[in-house]
Amino acid sequence: MSEQTAADQTQTKAVRDVGVVIQESESNRPVIEAIEQDNPECTTMHTPGLVRITAPGRIVINQETVEEKVGREWETHEFQMAIVSYFGNIQEWDDDEIVIAWDH
Amino acid sequence: MTLAPEKKSKKTKKLSMKARYEALTRGLDWEPSYVAKDEMFPHLDYEGIKIHDWAAWEDPFRLTIDSYCKYQAEKDKRLYAVLDGFAQGQGHLSLTDASYLNAMKVFIQGVTPLEYGAHRHFAYLARHFAGPGPRFAALCQSIDEIRHMQTEIHTLSNYNKYYSGMHNWPENFDRVWYLSVPKSFFEDALSCGPFEFLIAVGFSFEYLLTNLLFVPFMSGASFNGDLPTMTFGFSAQSDESRHMTLGLEAIKFLLEQDEANVEIVQGWIDKWFWRSYRVTALVAQMLDYMLPRKVMSWKESFELYFEEQMLGGLFEDLAFYGIKPPRHVEDAIKEKELLSHQVYWTLYQFSFAAGFTTTAPTDEHLDWLSQAYPDTFDKYYRPLWEKEKKNIENGGRHFARGLPQLCQVCQVPMLFTEPGEPSVLAQHESEFEGEIYHTCSNGCQWIFDREPEKYRQAWLPVHQILQGNCGGPTVPDVLEWYGLQDGDAGEYIGSRDHKNWVAWQGEAAADTAAPTEKAGA
Amino acid sequence: MQYELKTQVIEPQRHTFTHIAKRYGDKPASRYLEGTIDVQAKEHFHYRPTWDPTREIFDDSYSIFRLTDAYSFLDPRQFYYAPYVTARAAHHEAFATSLKYIEDRGLLERLSDGWKGVLTELVIPLRHLESAGQLILCNMARFGWGASITQAAAYSGFDRVGNAQVLSRAGIALGGGTADLLTEAKQHWMDDAALQPLRKFAEETIVEADWGVALLQLDAVDHLLYDLLYQHLDDEAVNNGAPAYSLISQHMSSWFDDNRKWIDALYKAWRADPELGETNAAMLAEHGGAAVDAALAAVTPFAARIDELLGAEVNAVDRITTKAAEVRAAYTGEQA
Repeated sequence: MSEQTAADQTQTKAVRDVGVVIQESESNRPVIEAIEQDNPECTTMHTPGLVRITAPGRIVINQETVEEKVGREWETHEFQMAIVSYFGNIQEWDDDEIVIAWDH
Repeated sequence: MTLAPEKKSKKTKKLSMKARYEALTRGLDWEPSYVAKDEMFPHLDYEGIKIHDWAAWEDPFRLTIDSYCKYQAEKDKRLYAVLDGFAQGQGHLSLTDASYLNAMKVFIQGVTPLEYGAHRHFAYLARHFAGPGPRFAALCQSIDEIRHMQTEIHTLSNYNKYYSGMHNWPENFDRVWYLSVPKSFFEDALSCGPFEFLIAVGFSFEYLLTNLLFVPFMSGASFNGDLPTMTFGFSAQSDESRHMTLGLEAIKFLLEQDEANVEIVQGWIDKWFWRSYRVTALVAQMLDYMLPRKVMSWKESFELYFEEQMLGGLFEDLAFYGIKPPRHVEDAIKEKELLSHQVYWTLYQFSFAAGFTTTAPTDEHLDWLSQAYPDTFDKYYRPLWEKEKKNIENGGRHFARGLPQLCQVCQVPMLFTEPGEPSVLAQHESEFEGEIYHTCSNGCQWIFDREPEKYRQAWLPVHQILQGNCGGPTVPDVLEWYGLQDGDAGEYIGSRDHKNWVAWQGEAAADTAAPTEKAGA
Repeated sequence: MQYELKTQVIEPQRHTFTHIAKRYGDKPASRYLEGTIDVQAKEHFHYRPTWDPTREIFDDSYSIFRLTDAYSFLDPRQFYYAPYVTARAAHHEAFATSLKYIEDRGLLERLSDGWKGVLTELVIPLRHLESAGQLILCNMARFGWGASITQAAAYSGFDRVGNAQVLSRAGIALGGGTADLLTEAKQHWMDDAALQPLRKFAEETIVEADWGVALLQLDAVDHLLYDLLYQHLDDEAVNNGAPAYSLISQHMSSWFDDNRKWIDALYKAWRADPELGETNAAMLAEHGGAAVDAALAAVTPFAARIDELLGAEVNAVDRITTKAAEVRAAYTGEQA
């Protein structure tokens, strides 16, 4: 199902990926779109019911972008309704943004 | 309830999320004046971990009680709506096959009780840590774990009404042989001090391996028409993200607090990686053998969720602190092409004494396995199944005679082979105070040798049967003591679940099941 | 997902789990029961805890209060996780509405100095007492025996964090949107003579290893303080033009009433136990009575300070003395 394997990903990238897995649903689609827009280097992979978004080094989720996409106010705590898993470290979870990145 | 936050007009007066969280949660440390500090927090020293500043603990989620309750209530509202709808519409008939539920039987018997155990011991951390930040995070996790236990029970409750094997899970957990694998694993963690527990469960299990356990599994549920399990799974995983963060925060906190902690933590990572990994052996066979419609092989899943995300990502990060990848991780990597096959082959033979049924893979399934495991399946395992197919055709479906020997540490039957030598059965021995103890691998032996006084205590189900402590000397005695009913164990084809399924599905289902129908046990 | 409406009627093989059916018969059981009864492992524990090798991983000897059947205690609210968080979401939303009203109308600023003093010196510092409650109940959630008990204790422990945050939010509001008053409240808690006996009582209860005895102690102090602050002073606030106090107080008192339900049911189950009931009743009289006496001593200087701040006619000390006699009588069965 996934064409990429561990080996060819780690070998071709100097910067390690971080990732977030989101449940694929109508209410989460704007969140996914916002992430794709704000993280142009990201790649997405679909498995049944899930979207896995990875990007080199860092993924940011901006409140402002999500609010544009959903057309209403959206507080970052609401991201908990969408997230299924992640890898990396949650460096920041504040009013205006969530940042996933490795520390070192 | 509306999820949109209130208008932000008074934002100038409002503290930021960070400042508000600080004020509400972090001011609450306890500096005792009337009792000694080590009387109030008596378990913080004996593991050798040194903490100089509990306030350095960062909780990135900054959840306050009001937002916690608001979002958790909303999650549950959505989940229970799905469960109700599924039950009312007889959704169970839309599964790919009743045999799919064997995976869920193992789940409720072996995983659900662990959630309850986690509730208890995160409460212990919530009592015994000396900082309010980690105490609060642990308390959230303690009640989250109640949530997970209950949403699992409530999801599977509907299946339990129609299918075998789920009806007596708490007693099964305490008694049945293969369930001592997860039970002893978790009790090993519960019997540790607070810091080791946190590394064992919070880090090694929740962060390192939980993705491997849950994500493919829940995709599997989705793929096999099990909407409720998919929903509870994803819903639980959203809490799991918080738990992963606690685990990662914990390890970084310990490593940053004192250099002397590094060696202790490394030892725990080494131990708990292997201990947790051995439990995932049960998941490996679920993915490759128990799901009628396959999502992803164990090997693929291991590469993606463990090798890429953890070895390629996390451990590079931890190298900064001097942490190395877990000891014996190479053995696990070498095993990824063998693990599920070895485990299922064993379960297949011993399912006469289990709370689930097994069956030989169909030809189509064998082809999928050959393609997913090109280097090993045709060479080592396909011949076993081809031979078994002949046995079945001749009316002789194979069940093992006698009882398997269990590893003293992980309690999986001694079925594994030596790393890199798929034909050499691994049989490790350690001597402690004049007694010989058997282990299944380098990893388990290393764990035993580190703490023999602990692992000698293990309640090994097979030993207990032989000693007459499990209801009596015969298989029916033991099964009765396990609280299993007719239909719970044995061969799937021809089992109560299979017969019901065929009847419920009518002609269409009977046709697809026909090729193997005559293989009835 | 493709979905066709199934019209066929399928007879269930069973209506609930075996362990539930053994107790209540094979009929559909509530989500509370299925999610609670018998879920704790009870035998064949593999290893002795390193933190207490004399016990099992789960052990019923962590309290002198025992039940022959742990599940003879059930939470009358039938709180499993979903209804619990749903109820608390509504509770905190209601508090937020009150607080917003208080802030919009500037009600805190309009309080008299006496009432401001009660809030800053005495009430807001109780966030630390709530956090002691959190520790005490977490201990119970870990060392209790049986899921009906540990579940109720964990929720109650979580409630304590919620209570501390309610008080903290009141403090932040009174402090004009800053955390200054919380810092000040901590100093009061650490240093004020009126609070030290209470702090001592809290610390001693935190280190009480027997979770049943600790619960009695916490409950005794709750009885006195919640009645004094959120019943008696609530009446005073209504009569004496302190609506901000009353608006906050109602949420604390509604929580207390809700929390009583499981605790009272537990005492009742202890007393009603067919084998251990008599012993439990004697223990309740002994330890409950002692807890009330100790709590009264601990709360008296606190109440005296209220009388100083609001005037002797408030009779705070009298109120707790009367209440203590009433609670003691309920434990001992003697007349107040």
